[in-house]
Amino acid sequence: MSDLASTPRSAEGMPAPSVVRLRATQRLFASLEGVFHEEVFFLILSVFIGIFSGLAVVCFRLAIDWMHLALLGPLPQTHSWRLFAVPSLAGLVVAILVLHLFPGIRGSGVNQTKAALYIFNGFIPFRTAVGKFICAALAIGSGQSLGPEDPSLQIGASIASALGRQLQISREKLRLMAPVGAAAGLAAAFNAPISAVLFVIEEVIGRWSAGILGSVVLSAVSSVVIVRWFLGSEPLFRIPVTTFKRPTELVAYAVLGIVGGLASVAFAKSIGYLRPRLKALPRWTQYFQPAFAGLLIGLIAFLGAPQIMGAGYDSMDQAMHGQYTWKVLAVLAVLKIVASTVSFVSGTPGGMFAPTLFIGAMLGGAVGDVERIFFPHLTGSTGTYVLVGMGVLFAGFLRVPMTSVFMVLEVSGNYEIIVPVIVANTFSYLVSRSLQTIPIFDLLTRQDGLILPSLEEEREEAILRVEDAMLPVPAAILSAADYVDANARRVQSCTDATFLVRMHPSGWSTITREQLLHLFQEGKGDLTLGSILPSQSVPSLYPDLPLDSALRYVNNYALVPVVNRANSLQLEGVISRESVFQKYGTRSKNE
Amino acid sequence: MSWSLPKLVPRSAPLILLILTLAAATGFAAVGHLVARYNANQQSRGRKLYSQGLAAASAGHYDDAIAAFRAALTCDPTNSQYQLSLARALRDSNDPRRLDEAESYLVALWQRSPQDAAVNLALARVAAHRGSVEDATRYYHNAMYGAWNSDPDANRSKARIELIQFLLKKNALANADSELMALSTSLPADPAAHLHAAQLFADAQDYSGALTQYREALHLDPSNSSALAGAGEAAYHLGNYTTAEHYLQAAVNKDPQDADARRLLAITDLVLRNNPFHSHISDAERNRRITAAFSQAETRLIECAQQKGVDLHAAGGTSSSPLAALQTRWMATKPDLSRLRSPAETDLPDAIMDLVFQVEQQTASVCGPPQGLDLALLLILQKREAAIQ
Repeated sequence: MSDLASTPRSAEGMPAPSVVRLRATQRLFASLEGVFHEEVFFLILSVFIGIFSGLAVVCFRLAIDWMHLALLGPLPQTHSWRLFAVPSLAGLVVAILVLHLFPGIRGSGVNQTKAALYIFNGFIPFRTAVGKFICAALAIGSGQSLGPEDPSLQIGASIASALGRQLQISREKLRLMAPVGAAAGLAAAFNAPISAVLFVIEEVIGRWSAGILGSVVLSAVSSVVIVRWFLGSEPLFRIPVTTFKRPTELVAYAVLGIVGGLASVAFAKSIGYLRPRLKALPRWTQYFQPAFAGLLIGLIAFLGAPQIMGAGYDSMDQAMHGQYTWKVLAVLAVLKIVASTVSFVSGTPGGMFAPTLFIGAMLGGAVGDVERIFFPHLTGSTGTYVLVGMGVLFAGFLRVPMTSVFMVLEVSGNYEIIVPVIVANTFSYLVSRSLQTIPIFDLLTRQDGLILPSLEEEREEAILRVEDAMLPVPAAILSAADYVDANARRVQSCTDATFLVRMHPSGWSTITREQLLHLFQEGKGDLTLGSILPSQSVPSLYPDLPLDSALRYVNNYALVPVVNRANSLQLEGVISRESVFQKYGTRSKNE
Repeated sequence: MSWSLPKLVPRSAPLILLILTLAAATGFAAVGHLVARYNANQQSRGRKLYSQGLAAASAGHYDDAIAAFRAALTCDPTNSQYQLSLARALRDSNDPRRLDEAESYLVALWQRSPQDAAVNLALARVAAHRGSVEDATRYYHNAMYGAWNSDPDANRSKARIELIQFLLKKNALANADSELMALSTSLPADPAAHLHAAQLFADAQDYSGALTQYREALHLDPSNSSALAGAGEAAYHLGNYTTAEHYLQAAVNKDPQDADARRLLAITDLVLRNNPFHSHISDAERNRRITAAFSQAETRLIECAQQKGVDLHAAGGTSSSPLAALQTRWMATKPDLSRLRSPAETDLPDAIMDLVFQVEQQTASVCGPPQGLDLALLLILQKREAAIQ
C-alpha cells in the first residue's frame, strides 16, 4: 500500500511513464535472471573475454610495431649503431621495470597461466597484463629475439582472471577463466583459432576436458574476429604453392623431422642449462642480463644478420619464397637459436612461439635445399619445406604434436601437405622425446619449483582398469528365482563368505553365507530369495572402466559384478575391495 | 604494490552483461580510433617509403627499391600498388631467386583482382622472364583485355607489341604473326605506329603484312624515307622486284646516305636486268641474259674452286668434287649456246639456266653467300621456283 501511495501518478490516476518504464525494465531483468544460470553465463562471458583479449592484443601488436618504428626505423639497415644500441638500452629499461614494477612477467607466460589454473585458483594479477604489455612490446619492438604470441596468451589470461574476480564467479569457474583468456590471447596473436584452442588444451590445461572446450572455442573465435576486424584477415605469410606428389618423398620429410628434433633438443637444452645458472647469479646482474642479450643480438644483426631481430615474420616470409640460399638459412637457424636462448634466459618478457617458427622455417628451407642438391627429382618447393619445418620445431621444441600439425594447416590453408607435416612432426617429436625427457615448459616450471600436470605425462601414464583387478566368475552364482533352501544347499559346497545373486529379470545383489543360513534357519526355505532380498541391487561395472570408478562401490558392496558391455546378463568377473587395493598396492610397489 | 580493478559491478547477470556490452563497445570505439590513427600514420610513412622505392627503381637500384617497397608494405601490408611495385622490382632485379617471390605477390594480387591489366602484364613479364610462352601469352592476353586505369587503347597496343616481341624472341613466328594481324586492325592513324608494326611483320618474316603496313605509313606520310626503304625491302623479300625498285629508288633519292637501300637497289637492278624469264623482253635480250648468266656461272665456279683448292681440270676427270662435275657439265653445255637463236630449241634456255642455277647453288653451299650478279641469279631462281609452285 505504501508503495502504491508513493508511486507518482498522472492526472488520470495512472502511474507516470517513467515509472512504467522502470517497472518494465525490472520485470525484464527479473525474467532474464532465470535464463542466465552459471553455465550459460560462463559461455557468454567467454565471448566477452575473447572481445577484451582481442582488443588488448590489437593494441599490443600496434605497440610492438610502433616501438619498432620509433626505435629501429622503418628500413632495417645493417651496420647501423642503432642495431646494438637500441636492444641493449631497451633491455636495461625492461630489466628495471621487471625487477621493480612487474616481477611476475619474466619469460613467456605460458607457465604462469598454467600455474594460475592449478595452483592459484585462476588468480593472475591484472598488473601482469599491464607489465607484460609494456615490457614485451618494448623488448620485441627493440629487437630482442622473442615473439608476441605467448605474452598475448598471458595478457588474455590476465584479463580473464581479473574479469572473473570482479564478477565474483565461483572458484571452480574462476579457475577456468585463465585458460579461456589464454586461448583468446593466443588466437588473436596467431590469427589461428584452432591452433590456439589445441595449444591451450595440450599445454595449459594439460588434459582433455569437455567442460571447458566450449568456452575456450568461443573466446578464441571471438578474439580472432576482433583482430581481423581491426587488422585485416591477411595471413601471417604469403603462402607459396606447396605440393606433395610422390609418397617416396616422405623420406625427405622424415629426415627433416629428425634434424628438426635434434635442433629442438639443442634449443631446449641450452635454455634448460643456462636459465637456472643466470637466475642464480647475484641480483644486480639481473639488471644487465637483458641488456647483454640485446647487445649480443644487436652485434649479430650489425654483422649482417638483422633477420634474427624481433619475431622475424618478414624473414620467414622471404625464406618461404626462396630468398635465401641453404647456407644462409642454416646460419640464420643457428643464430636464431643463440639469440632466442640469450633473450629468453635473461628474463626478458617475450614468447617462444615466433622464434620456434623462425628456427623451424630456416632449418626446413636449408634441409630441403640440401636434399634437392643430392636428389634433384624431389618436387617439394623450398616453401613447402619451410612450412613443414615450422611444424617440426613446434612439435619437437614445444612438444605439442597436435597443435603443430594444425598450426601448419591453419597458417598455410593447404591440406595437401598434411601427410608430410604429420610424418616430419612425428619424427621430430619422437627424437625430441627420446633425447629430452621433460618438455621445455615443464622443465621451466620445475626450475621455478612448481610441478604441474601435462598432457604428455597423462598420455604416458598407464591407467589401471577394472579388468586389471577383476577376479574370475565365482563358482556359485545364486539365483533370486530359486528358493532359499535350494540356494542354501548350493553354498554348502563353497567356502566363499559372500555370494552374488542374479536378480530377475536383470540386475545383481549379494548375500553372505551367514545371512542365507539364517534365513533357512528362520524357516523361510520355501520362499524365493528374490522375495526376501532388498530391491536395491548392486551396481555392475564394465571391464574397460578405469579402476578408479570401482572405488566408489567396493566399500559398500563386498562383491561388484563386472559384466559384458554387449550383454549385461553375461558376467565377466567380479571385483572386491581387496582385489582393488591389492592391484593399487602392486602398482605402487612397482613404481 | 598491488593493483586491482574497482569492484563496481553488481551481481546481476543481465546487468553485468549490459555493462560488459557497454564496456566492449567503448573499447571497440577506442581501439578503432587508435587503429585508424595508427593506420593513417603508417600509410603516410608508407607513401614516403614508396616514393623512395620508386626513385630507386627508376635509377636501377633495385636492391634499395626492394628494401623500400618492403618497408612500405610493413606500413600498409594490403596496399596493392606497393605489392605490385615490389613484385616488379623483384622481377627486374635480374636475380632468378627473386622471381618466385615476385610471382607470389603477383598471383596474390591476381587472385584478388583477376581483371587488373597491370597485374596481368606484370605476371606476363615474369612468365616471359621464365621463358614460358604459354603462360606469357595467357597473361599478356589478360592484360590486353583487362581493365586499365588510364589510356586503355595505347596500353593494350603496347602489351600486344610486347607479346609480339617476346614471341619473336622465342622464334614462335606463327603466334607472332597472329598477334600482328590483330595489332594491324587496331593501329591508330600514325605513320610511326604503322612503321613499327611493319618492322614487326618483317621480323616475323611476314613480308606481305610488312609491305601493307609500310604502304599505310606512306599513305599517311608519302615522303617517309624509312617507310620507302622498308616497303622496298619487303617487296624485295617477296620477289616483287619491280615494286622493290620503285620504293628503293624513291628511298635512295630521298636519303642518298641509306647504304642498305642502295645495296638492295643495286641487287634489285641486277635481278631486273638479268632475268631471262622476264616476259616483256625480246628473244635477243633473253639470249643475251642467258649467255651472260652462263658466263658468270663459269667465273663463279672457277673462283670457288680456287678458293677451295679444287682442280677443275684434273686428268681424266678423276676429281670427285661436285664443282669439277659441274665444270664438266658446263664445258659440255657451252657449245649449245650457239643454238639459242634456233626457234626449234624451245627447251634449251631452261636447260642452260638450270645448269647456271645448279652452279650458283653449289658454289653458294661450298663457298658461302654470293654477291652481285651471282646473288641476283640465285634470287631469279627463287622467284622462278615460287612462280612454278
